[in-house]
Amino acid sequence: MHDFLLERPDTLRAAHDLLQRYGTKAMLKAGGTDLLIWIKRGVVLPECLVDLSLIPLLQELSLSEAEMCIGAGVSVARFLSAEAISTHFPALVDACNSHSDPLVRNRATVVGNVCSAVPSGDLIAPLFAYDTQLEIHGPTGSRSCGIDEFITGPRKTTLQPGEIVTCLHVPLPKPPSSGSYQKAMRREALDIAQAGVCCVFSGKAQEPAGRKVRLTFSAVSAKPVRALKAEHILEQANQLDESMLQEVAILARQAVAPITDVRASSEYRLDMVAELTRRAVRACFAERGEA
Amino acid sequence: MPGKKEVWCTVNGKKTRLLAAGNTTLLQALRDIGVTSVKRGCEEGECGACTVILDGLPQKSCIVLAQEVEGATILTSEGLVQNGTLHPIQQAFIDEGAIQCGFCTPGMVLSTWALLQSNPNPTDEQIKQALSGNLCRCTGYAGIQRAVKKSAKLLAPKLQGGDSQ
Repeated sequence: MHDFLLERPDTLRAAHDLLQRYGTKAMLKAGGTDLLIWIKRGVVLPECLVDLSLIPLLQELSLSEAEMCIGAGVSVARFLSAEAISTHFPALVDACNSHSDPLVRNRATVVGNVCSAVPSGDLIAPLFAYDTQLEIHGPTGSRSCGIDEFITGPRKTTLQPGEIVTCLHVPLPKPPSSGSYQKAMRREALDIAQAGVCCVFSGKAQEPAGRKVRLTFSAVSAKPVRALKAEHILEQANQLDESMLQEVAILARQAVAPITDVRASSEYRLDMVAELTRRAVRACFAERGEA
Repeated sequence: MPGKKEVWCTVNGKKTRLLAAGNTTLLQALRDIGVTSVKRGCEEGECGACTVILDGLPQKSCIVLAQEVEGATILTSEGLVQNGTLHPIQQAFIDEGAIQCGFCTPGMVLSTWALLQSNPNPTDEQIKQALSGNLCRCTGYAGIQRAVKKSAKLLAPKLQGGDSQ
């Protein structure tokens, strides 16, 4: 493996100092389960890895009345074991369980999945569907941004040199809520999505604010996208019916732009998007007892 | 480029010094000190042949850097053996013919150990899920599944861990 220096700061301040010192030659590491493989393959050649795992602040995993906060050091397994997530974020439970395998999940982090910014990142679509905001600390201050502002393309983000994503703020969906993440893959563990669809419902259709629906995708677009037209139809729908479901599936297909690669062809992915959309929407209606 | 650092950790109950450069994996560092039950397979976090129990959790040592384990507690298949007697899980793997070439076995045994620590009486589905990160290319998994079931019976009602856990 390419040689590098491992730095393990125990404060955010010290991490910023290291980023300042090494500039573009430094890379941030949380779990490292993607990064170390990229280094082994020579995709990235950092001189210094700044490991964030010893910074206590980044281990925060908390729930308030308004949101869940997931620190940059929180592993996928630790997140999955939090009781609150199955109550409030069932689509994230689906996605976490489909992420890699139980061993890798003990090390890989939730924030790392977002920062890796690969189109097939399983947690990205559900975090986007739950309107997650990233908290980003830079040398001169902090900012927050949404998932779709953060990821601009495969492995490309708006993270600036010197900046660190410290945590994710995931607002609790308005009750009654339901959610589902559906993933097509070749085997049931350790596999990257061929296509993934996430659907989240929150609030009641009969109330003035109405029902809010999000429909997001994995592995079928270069950056996170929503199927806005399909969401609009679902927000108006009083009940599940087949013709509505068909229309939603067609609109979902139109919202994405998959490529052909080693895992699947573009045509197959489009068909899967339609089918997985039907399954995710059905699951959301069923969870609410409306189907 | 940077030189090696001393890393102190507990390996199978013994205070151990590893010598590691920044890019040395835990897998490499353990093999360098003779802990060879930890196998070098894909080295990309896929196959699970390099599984270790790191601070109580099963993890793939090819995607852990050795310098990250300062102060950590590591259990490998060697550490399950007590006074020359195989651990019941190891014995169950032999008895059930869950081994052919044996390359995946130490990792399978450790994932089984971790599963039974948290869930002493797993269902077939829970066993499949817990072992889904460990690949076997020769036995076909049926023997392994039987070995895990047998281990659960042997270890009930009281679970026994390795020296270090």
